[in-house]
Amino acid sequence: MEAVVEQSITRDAPVHLEGLGKEYGHFTALKALDLTVAQGTSLGFLGPNGAGKSTTIKIMTNLIRPSRGRASLFGIDVRREPTRALARIGAVIETPEFYGYLSPVETLAYAGRLRGMSSKDLHNRSEAVLKEVKLTDWADHRIQEFSKGMKQRLAIAQSLLNEPDLLILDEPTSGLDPRGMAEVRDVIKSLKDQGRTIFMSSHLLGEVQEVCDDVALLNHGELLIRGSVRELSRGADTSLIQATFLLSATPQDLEALATLPGVEEVKASGDSTVDLRISGGEEGQARVLEAMIGRGLKVITYRPLGSSLEQLYLDRIQESDRL
Amino acid sequence: MTPSPLAQIVTVASYEIRKYIRGRRLLGMLILLGLIVGLFVGLPPALGIKYASTPDAFVSTFATFSGLLVVLGGVLFAADALVSEHEKRTGYFLFPNPVRREVLVLGKIAASLLVCTAVLSLYYGAAAIAALAITGSLTWDVGLSYVYTLGYMTAVVGVAYLLSALLKGTVAATVLTFFLFTLIFSIIGGILPRANVEPWFIPTSVGFVPDPAISLLVFAAYAIAGGVLAILLYRRRELAS
Repeated sequence: MEAVVEQSITRDAPVHLEGLGKEYGHFTALKALDLTVAQGTSLGFLGPNGAGKSTTIKIMTNLIRPSRGRASLFGIDVRREPTRALARIGAVIETPEFYGYLSPVETLAYAGRLRGMSSKDLHNRSEAVLKEVKLTDWADHRIQEFSKGMKQRLAIAQSLLNEPDLLILDEPTSGLDPRGMAEVRDVIKSLKDQGRTIFMSSHLLGEVQEVCDDVALLNHGELLIRGSVRELSRGADTSLIQATFLLSATPQDLEALATLPGVEEVKASGDSTVDLRISGGEEGQARVLEAMIGRGLKVITYRPLGSSLEQLYLDRIQESDRL
Repeated sequence: MTPSPLAQIVTVASYEIRKYIRGRRLLGMLILLGLIVGLFVGLPPALGIKYASTPDAFVSTFATFSGLLVVLGGVLFAADALVSEHEKRTGYFLFPNPVRREVLVLGKIAASLLVCTAVLSLYYGAAAIAALAITGSLTWDVGLSYVYTLGYMTAVVGVAYLLSALLKGTVAATVLTFFLFTLIFSIIGGILPRANVEPWFIPTSVGFVPDPAISLLVFAAYAIAGGVLAILLYRRRELAS
């Protein structure tokens, strides 16, 4: 009985992908992806170019057909019932173009009318989302005058228009300046705080770490890892640490460091700075620091070079590329 | 609550019409139309030539150019309607909305038919007023010519949508629509009789006589076949690039 209930919850989840595959001629973009995103989760969908991220998102939003398997949103098959499946979502896919002859307000009205929003709702929501993406001053200007960054802001605005239960974002900060990126991340975080489900692909690992609870890593159309950001960051086997000492490290010090348990590689990167590749996750890092202090090395700073998630990402991608 | 398909068709059609108005295609077409009417009405007295004495003969000079207006209408208001959503990437905004592709195609077709009908109605309206003012009368044949032109227009729009759903670029779709109706169909219609085949099924060769009903049926067949195939092709077309 419990198994039946669990199966039903999985199928009715905001995102449920089952054996999803896609071929373009002889090229396999997606092999057999199984992925479920539970209500209220914000999932970072990671992978290098050509990994199959955009293909997955395009299948989820009915832009392309899967070669096999199925994609359901809230338990509704996207291919069979696209109108019902897409009713509760908002999406930004790549950097969409808009009709240059329309203004942002008119563009939002077009999307809103197709979704059956009332004039009052449309007016209120358009005002709110344009304010959220800082396009209020441009609300009545023709989009043909807009830069790529402004179009990306408008894309975010239209995805929020219907207060979607599920937000599907494909590289949402692409084309934005650093301030715009931070603003969009804040918008996404506030949506996450409201309990909305977010499915976001990104190349920016820092962005995913900041915004998402869970990550799924894809390469060559296959899912390599799926888990919570915290667990994966902790469980990353190797990490790159930079240590700075009060006095320059001697060749003997470097040799000694290389022999410490857990240290896989030592490289001097300055007079008193050393880069260490350490295995054993966070515990391994702590052990090496203790051992260095125990040997009388005066450590001033001890900091990760890049995140452990980044290290995990690179390790798994390299591993998958070798196969 | 997602609206009914009919309400969505009306929404799509209204935004398409806005595109034609704001994109100045309609303005261009109206300027051309005004120029043609002006030349037909203004040139004979300026050159000292008499107008045709009967309303049928007077309107027939207008009708000669209606075919070209119809083809231009198909090129400007139909041929790129579907393909441009892919080529200009506006489909990334439009398609993830809860709207079926067939609804999008039908909304766009409705807009094309409405705009083309408005343009042709203005043209025939101007011709009829001029005929009435100059010859003092009108016949039902003028109205029949108008209906026949509208029938031809539906055929052109149907085929233009088929090409728009089939081809990958807006230039290919518009150029092929233009040459199909100004050149290719005419060549086929000219050659077929030599093989003892009557070209009654070629839209540019369908004669007004002997049976206008058959001509209208042929136009309707092109319109329906073009529209239905456009919907079927567009439903399967992917936005992959």
